[in-house]
Amino acid sequence: MKRISKKLLFFLFLALILTLAACSGGNESGSDEGGSDGNTITAWAWDPNFNIAALELAKEKYSGEEGIELDIIENAQDDIVQKLNTGLSSGTMKGMPNIVLIEDQRAQSFLQSYPDAFYPIGDYFNKEDFASYKLPPTSLDGKQYGLPFDTGVTGLFYRTDYLEEAGFTKEDLTNITWKQYIEIGKTVKEKTGHNFLSLDPNDLGILRVMMQSAGAWYTDEEGNINLVDNEPLRLALENYKAIMEADMVKLNSDWSQYIAAFNSGDVATVPAGNWIAPSIEAEESQAGKWAVAPTPRLDIEGTVNASNQGGSSFYVLNIDGKEKAAEFLANTFGSNVEFYDELVTEVGALGTYTPAAESEAYQVENEFFGGQQLISDFSKWMEEIPQVDYGMNTYGIEDILAAEIQNYLNGKSLEDVLADAQSQAEAQFK
Amino acid sequence: MKKVKRIFTYLFLSIASIISIFPFLWMLVSMTNKSVDVTQGKLLPGTHFIENVKGLFNTVDIGTALINSTIIAVITTFLTLLIGSLAGYGFEIYRSRGKDMIFNILLLSMMIPFAAIMIPLYRFFGGVSASVPFLGIDTLAAAILPTVITAFFIFFFRQNTKMFAKELVEAGRIDGLSELGIFFRIYLPTMKTTYAAAAIIAFMNSWNNYLWPLVVLQSPENQTIPLLISNLGAGYSPDYGLIMTAIVIATLPTAIVFFVMQRHFVAGMMGSVKG
Repeated sequence: MKRISKKLLFFLFLALILTLAACSGGNESGSDEGGSDGNTITAWAWDPNFNIAALELAKEKYSGEEGIELDIIENAQDDIVQKLNTGLSSGTMKGMPNIVLIEDQRAQSFLQSYPDAFYPIGDYFNKEDFASYKLPPTSLDGKQYGLPFDTGVTGLFYRTDYLEEAGFTKEDLTNITWKQYIEIGKTVKEKTGHNFLSLDPNDLGILRVMMQSAGAWYTDEEGNINLVDNEPLRLALENYKAIMEADMVKLNSDWSQYIAAFNSGDVATVPAGNWIAPSIEAEESQAGKWAVAPTPRLDIEGTVNASNQGGSSFYVLNIDGKEKAAEFLANTFGSNVEFYDELVTEVGALGTYTPAAESEAYQVENEFFGGQQLISDFSKWMEEIPQVDYGMNTYGIEDILAAEIQNYLNGKSLEDVLADAQSQAEAQFK
Repeated sequence: MKKVKRIFTYLFLSIASIISIFPFLWMLVSMTNKSVDVTQGKLLPGTHFIENVKGLFNTVDIGTALINSTIIAVITTFLTLLIGSLAGYGFEIYRSRGKDMIFNILLLSMMIPFAAIMIPLYRFFGGVSASVPFLGIDTLAAAILPTVITAFFIFFFRQNTKMFAKELVEAGRIDGLSELGIFFRIYLPTMKTTYAAAAIIAFMNSWNNYLWPLVVLQSPENQTIPLLISNLGAGYSPDYGLIMTAIVIATLPTAIVFFVMQRHFVAGMMGSVKG
């Protein structure tokens, strides 16, 4: 009895091995799988109200000669990053989409890590039509891989009632420096009791906003980590410390608390990307009490009152259906002013396609923001945003810096903080 | 004195239970509130429940996700229990020279994080897709297969089998039962509590499994519940009322499975500790 079952087991095992061998045999031929069959192409993006809605609109507006059917698949951004990394590192390309949305600050790490995975689409549209700051993150070695999509152009959202109560007018907040911003903040806190802004100590978004307004980043043009001799970063850190020490910050630890800080009326300003506007508008009782000023700048030669936070672009994967995918993008996001018009009115998404700025939809007055021509203002500031190469490791470097900044706040000297962060980052990413 | 001690015991236990129940309570309350109220930490039930449920069913296909999650969880639980118990039984009952070494190697495999084998696995299923489409990327089978054989459950069943009276195996053999007959007719019925405990753990693991289904399932028709919830929270301005409603719906099945098998679960876990 026992002998028979042993034999049986042996044969089962043999059968299993054979099946596995057969499967791995099929592997060689199946390298360029995935993507489209026929006229259907797939796209991955996140955020149903924003990117997904934009793709749906593009699908509707597509007017090319070829009949292209777009299959839009929604995933959270971190999930897309995870799926892309797994799929692309496995080298099979099976299951990968034709079009994928990637955040600008992450794009270089994908383009440089998987050089053959993406399809250059520069021939399909005119890149001069897009805000110039979008081009370095979306291209590599002179080839244009991404079709620039939304802008993260920043503004200083502020409560007009609180600032008026403290004696400030619109002019006092227009084209100011961060130093002036901090001084105004102190007065507002003193006179009204309201905090001036809300920050998450683990999210250094505000540092990036300050740096980009001076055209600087954690890395230089060659991609070298550049923390020690980085004057804009130094100034940004000094401002950050001054803000933290001025007793005008409402700390938050996650996104919902961040949103709550202004929805509940606790803070007087929100320096953030234009995409925060719908979250501010969600609290209807505050209608008419908000306005947006240009982003403060650094106290240094060559900075502008415009910066960027977030924003993403579309990429085409180098698999079957790539020409169709590129054509679809070029026909909609790449050239259609009417599409951008509807995008801004229907979806509330602001693209980086500059010819659209002249259109009527961009001149609309927003009643929630006291009749301000919000979209028009944002697109003006958008064109001033300095170009920056985000490099490969923005978020990695920032993790290191976030830890060092705590030491800086606790009294460690700025020189040591930057030197230590620099050597840690070099050890980790070289 | 005794009374005072008892008061303190109850006081301590009450505080502890409030702390552990609070997140659930907050989840239930938030289900009835608007997103703005949720972010502001409102703790009283609101009137937005129907809108949240309607909104949820209008924005996402939660029905499909529930069905997918159920299919995956049930099949995974069944296979995990079958394979885990057969292996655990085998390791404990049969004598073999290399047995303990193989078992130790098996336990070592518990140390390898899933992330480390994920890319080879993806490559493997990507290769399978070409020849056996129903097993490849973006199929429920691909989401199930890598999770059904786990060292943990083999270990769990082996430990519990130590309590199983081996004389029963001898008796079965004398009465002419086949080895599989002994397993299914004698071992399985006597180890019911162990199976119940394992079933709860396996079901919960599978139901909440995130990383592998995320990577391997691509199309919305194959989406599972955790993936759906992750999507809901992904926007620039997520609707927290909706998300909480989805989470409550997602929590219900595991809660039901747990309460149905709770009695056996406790008995089964005790067994594994004693063994």
